[in-house]
Amino acid sequence: MNERTGARSQTISKVMIMVMIGRIRLWIIAASVVSLAALSAVSWLSYRNTKELIAANQRLAQAHKLIEDLAALHVLLDDAESSCRDYALSGRTESLKPYEASLAQLDTTMQVLRRDLAADPNRSRQLQELEPVIKARLEAMKELVQARTTSGLEAAVRVLQSDRGKRLTDEIRHGISIVQTEERNDLLSRERESRERARSTILAVGVTCLLGIVLLLTASLVIVRLNRQSERDHEALQNAEGIQRTILNSAAYSMISTDKAGLILTVNAATERWLQYRGAELAGSSILRLHDAAELQSRGVQLTRAMGMPVGGDYQALVTKAGYGVADDLECTYVRKDGTRFPVSLSVTALRTGGNDLAGYLMIATDLSEQRAIEKMKDEFVSIVSHELRTPLTSIKGALGLLVGGVTGPLPPKAGEMAQIALSNSDRLSRLVDDILDLQRIESGRITMDKRLCDVAALMKESSESVRLVAEGEGVTIEVSPCAGSINADQERIVQALVNLLGNAIKFSPRGDRIEFAAERTDRSVMFRVEDNGRGIPKDKLETIFERFQQVDASDAREKGGTGLGLAIVRSIVQQHNGRVWAESELSRGSKFYIQLPLESDSMTTE
Amino acid sequence: MPRTLLVIDDDRDIRQVAKTSLELVGGFQVLVADSGQRGLAIAREARPDAIILDLMMPDLDGRKTLAQLKQTPETAPIPVIMLTAKVQANRQELVGQGAVGVLVKPFDPMQLPDQVCEILGWGSSGKDKNRSDAAEE
Repeated sequence: MNERTGARSQTISKVMIMVMIGRIRLWIIAASVVSLAALSAVSWLSYRNTKELIAANQRLAQAHKLIEDLAALHVLLDDAESSCRDYALSGRTESLKPYEASLAQLDTTMQVLRRDLAADPNRSRQLQELEPVIKARLEAMKELVQARTTSGLEAAVRVLQSDRGKRLTDEIRHGISIVQTEERNDLLSRERESRERARSTILAVGVTCLLGIVLLLTASLVIVRLNRQSERDHEALQNAEGIQRTILNSAAYSMISTDKAGLILTVNAATERWLQYRGAELAGSSILRLHDAAELQSRGVQLTRAMGMPVGGDYQALVTKAGYGVADDLECTYVRKDGTRFPVSLSVTALRTGGNDLAGYLMIATDLSEQRAIEKMKDEFVSIVSHELRTPLTSIKGALGLLVGGVTGPLPPKAGEMAQIALSNSDRLSRLVDDILDLQRIESGRITMDKRLCDVAALMKESSESVRLVAEGEGVTIEVSPCAGSINADQERIVQALVNLLGNAIKFSPRGDRIEFAAERTDRSVMFRVEDNGRGIPKDKLETIFERFQQVDASDAREKGGTGLGLAIVRSIVQQHNGRVWAESELSRGSKFYIQLPLESDSMTTE
Repeated sequence: MPRTLLVIDDDRDIRQVAKTSLELVGGFQVLVADSGQRGLAIAREARPDAIILDLMMPDLDGRKTLAQLKQTPETAPIPVIMLTAKVQANRQELVGQGAVGVLVKPFDPMQLPDQVCEILGWGSSGKDKNRSDAAEE
């Protein structure tokens, strides 16, 4: 298993869990805020109730005290009165003691009452109204005592009989009783209020507790559910990751992801197998470790020229094109841990985040070793076969040539004719072998195009010169109209391609006709044109004539001496120069063949 | 005396065709050898004016034979023309190894003597001039 990939996916799952935890947290925070708000509201209510309850209780206590004080006042006055009476009747001075004691206490009691009632204007007024009556009553008592002391029993009785004392006492009793009654009523209503407040406080506290419990239960439920969900998600994520990892590791491709600086992030199992490194060894190291330095250097130079901007001969040479969003498929060499090399077809893609920011690169490589081995085998096979064919052909052609040439003595006319047929067909066979071998080698890229700057006019001159004799033999003239300019090309091969086109044009031109061989320069390319006035090519064959052994007419091979490979070779050569070849034609009006090649191009070979 | 050429080729028929062409069309005197080893021996003994050497031969192939010819003092001055299938050889490379030129198989037997003379700078084939005073040392 791939450690690096594992670590990577672990990181991803960690992130997902964090996200889920974040979601749970949000829930909990929301629930907590709501419950906290509810709890504080209810708590505030109970606090206020309790505070008011305490205040109400204080007031209740005050009311009770007031009632008691008033009763005490009443008792004091009663005591003083009865003491005075006793004295008036008995004349004994000790009978006056309770009176004196009461008088002494009365002042204090009155002061206390005045102070306690100061806060209540209504009660203060009532007390103030009562005070002169009390004073008058005390005056009356004093008069009684003086009358007894100075004037004796009879005077005292007179005072007693005057009834003034009784009136005052009734008045006082009435006043006190009013205050007491009012206070009692007040007290009752306050007590009722208190009870209600206490009840509502109890209710509030109860509701608070209930709410708390409900919230707690809800929160627990939410947490449990979210946990379960996150477990399920995590599991699904792990499954998906497992599948992804399996796909990556089963792929018959080497997949390497790097960051922007070309440092390796992850590799799949095929990479580990092919390159003999463990993923952990590669992680964090430069991608350059797996490449051939010289190869990247030369690719950097090529890209610098092709893109018109400096491209470094390091990992830049690998990623620059991909970085511009251009699909970059290249063939290059991977270097194993032990230093051995193998060819790969490498596809580099830029990895971009959702925000289209460049995150790194993905390099997918296919091992070309086997393909190359097969190509080599095929190449060798074709070489051997062609050699084996060529050897007997040399003898046949040579022997026939000597026969037909009359070197071995004159032949009878019929025999000469037959020998001529044999000779021309052995020629054709030998051209076929040459062409097959040529095509094979060009297509397999075994022949490296030897590209140099070639003058267009010179190429055309050389091409037309080499077919001049044939053209003269066929009575066909070639009109050459070159253009100025140079192309970066393998001169021999381009001449071969042009000669092929000219040869075809000659073959299909009627005697005495004229072939136009022209070149035109466009912005970035040179376009060669070979135009004849021959029989033309049907529309449906304009494409296929560039395939192997696809001639317009099956009899052409025999009659025109072609191998059926000429145009396929032309196309291969042109493709190796990053050019294009195509044909235009009108039946029985003639054909135009075009070869377009990049002007002074940097046309790279795949090799 | 006509000029002497040595043809070294492992294929009997090709040897025969080449010999016939060079003798009857070119008017040369032709020696033949069927292997590199035998070719070396004949070259040392007969000292031909030029050697036509096949590239692909079993055992001692054309390249090795060429190298030995050039290393042997007696044969080193003899010009050697390589005979090869068209695309298998690099003309430049063979010339670098001491060959004076390359002939391509299959050859036209009527043209072969002229091609040989052209490569060797002999002006024309032996039949016409038949001079024995040129090129040998």
